[in-house]
Amino acid sequence: MNVEATAPDIRSARFRAEREADWLRLDKLVTQIEKMGLRSLNFEEARDLAALYRNTVNALSLAREISLDRALLSYLEALAARAYLAVYAPQATLKGLIWRLISRGIPQAVRRSATVLALAFLTMLLGGVAGYLLFVEDPTWYNTIVPSGLAGERGITSTRSQLESVLTSGGDATVDRLTAFASYLFSHNTQIALFTFALGVIICIPSTLLTFYNGLVVGAFVGLHVDRDLGYELFAWLSVHGVTELSAIAIACAGGFHLGLAVLFPGQMTRRDALRHKGRDAVKLALLAAIMLVVAAILEGFFRQLIQTPELRIAIGWGIGALWLWYFLMAGRGDPAE
Amino acid sequence: MSAASRSTEKGPKTRITEILPPEGVPINFQVAGLGARFGAQMTDIILTGLIVIILMIIVAFSEVLSGDGVVAVGALSFFMLRAPYYVACEILWNGQTIGKRLLGLRVISGDGRALSPHAITVRNLMKEIEVFVPGTYLLIASELGFVPALLLLAWITILLAIPLFNPRRQRLGDIIANTFVIEVPRPVLMPDLARGAIEVGRFTFLPHHLDHYGRFELQTLEQILQVKTDALNATARKQHDTNLQRVSEAIVTRIGYEATIPPQDTEAFLRAFYRTQRAYLENKKLFGDAREDKFHKEAEPGA
Repeated sequence: MNVEATAPDIRSARFRAEREADWLRLDKLVTQIEKMGLRSLNFEEARDLAALYRNTVNALSLAREISLDRALLSYLEALAARAYLAVYAPQATLKGLIWRLISRGIPQAVRRSATVLALAFLTMLLGGVAGYLLFVEDPTWYNTIVPSGLAGERGITSTRSQLESVLTSGGDATVDRLTAFASYLFSHNTQIALFTFALGVIICIPSTLLTFYNGLVVGAFVGLHVDRDLGYELFAWLSVHGVTELSAIAIACAGGFHLGLAVLFPGQMTRRDALRHKGRDAVKLALLAAIMLVVAAILEGFFRQLIQTPELRIAIGWGIGALWLWYFLMAGRGDPAE
Repeated sequence: MSAASRSTEKGPKTRITEILPPEGVPINFQVAGLGARFGAQMTDIILTGLIVIILMIIVAFSEVLSGDGVVAVGALSFFMLRAPYYVACEILWNGQTIGKRLLGLRVISGDGRALSPHAITVRNLMKEIEVFVPGTYLLIASELGFVPALLLLAWITILLAIPLFNPRRQRLGDIIANTFVIEVPRPVLMPDLARGAIEVGRFTFLPHHLDHYGRFELQTLEQILQVKTDALNATARKQHDTNLQRVSEAIVTRIGYEATIPPQDTEAFLRAFYRTQRAYLENKKLFGDAREDKFHKEAEPGA
């Protein structure tokens, strides 16, 4: 009996010994990527990463079949998982993503969503007409419809001069009050937009209600001012930011409709898949609504107060509206669909 | 897509989920616990909050605005900072924010592909609805009426309960974006116990000695043998030696090994047994006779 000789390695131990150096090298590369990013690799390292990753995943698959070495299995599981995360990392830069989204993704999504957008604007318009008619029938509806925080000093008891002073105020107001007011309105409208979008999942009902209600408020508001013979001034006052802001809410609502319709009519897909599929356009509409709300807040906070003549207000408001329309219709045409 | 989640031998608290990358070899990930995710979320909220506070202090000291204006700037910037912060971080760092980095968490895509910017945007926009809007209302809860407060409570309860009722612990945004949060695995390579100087013929095992145990017992034995004895203090060392002694006695009795093992040879005996048993079981497995444990249960396919 040869007591001195050591036994030959068993199969799985040989398997491990042959590949261990590769794994350790991959481990080092992955650690480097996790610390300093994929860009820190040089050419050889990047080339080796791909090969080493595939070899390691192969080895993992093999080891699961032939090896009972727990140390090896848990190491390979963890290494393959980390390498997978490093290899399948998103490669796009933030700048490129944003540019692609703005130049192509959003306008294309808007064009694809013409139907739901029309529905959303129609809902808001109906709300507006209803609000106006309700006010004409019985002015006390105003108190029911318009939330007190939004109405400010403007109520059914206000006189013409009071209303007019609000419309033309701000020329002398301090910057302080402007920011506070703008931020209040901004957060109010963002929340409405957020809710109309997200709650659309519940088969469109909350989106419809919220957008309709938003229309009601505007309608009642218009009714009050028309009653005091201030229709034109109000139109100008609202135009500055309203064109952008109300469109933003309608667009958010259209995004919500996308989600709700996916749940209502999933077609050949399961509801979850339909939701994911429609979600691509819906999210782009939501992002667009967010951008438009920021623009509206800027318009509202500064331009509306600085510009006092109705004609100029209308020109700016609708001019920017036309720019939006041009952007939706023209941008990203001919580019591959996102 | 195999979304099968099964608890491992570590107990029902660890959740493993399988991802099938394009290479076709399933990779196992450990689903992050809700506690760690809550911790990461709080860290991020505190961080963004700090940035806002610094901004507010700068604005306040520059004396452009006063009082209400500063608060308005704060509220506005917190709102503007939130979603973009999460989206930008997760795109740049492949599914990690600063909080997730600190707690070793990461967002991954459920379909085995790279995490798409769309998925990141969706899960973080939904976070607004899930976390921040109810959170804001919670802060003013005392001013709400009874019915709105009840609605708020129902809303928060439902949203908090969703992750508890699916195996991947996905919140609503994760479900819509098809993502989930995992713990970043830490690979540690322990030495191969089947290698190294093992003398031929010192301990001889015959086939009837090796038919008693399965994978589970073998790997348990491996765990005991992998203990780094240098790192133990005197008491722990003694305990470890006693454990080895008891394990070796149990094995000798169970397999009916004829010779007695002197105490100083315990570890050598266990190593020799481990190596022979492993070779035997691996051979059996190659021929289709995988033994999961000593009851000779059929191993689960793919386990």
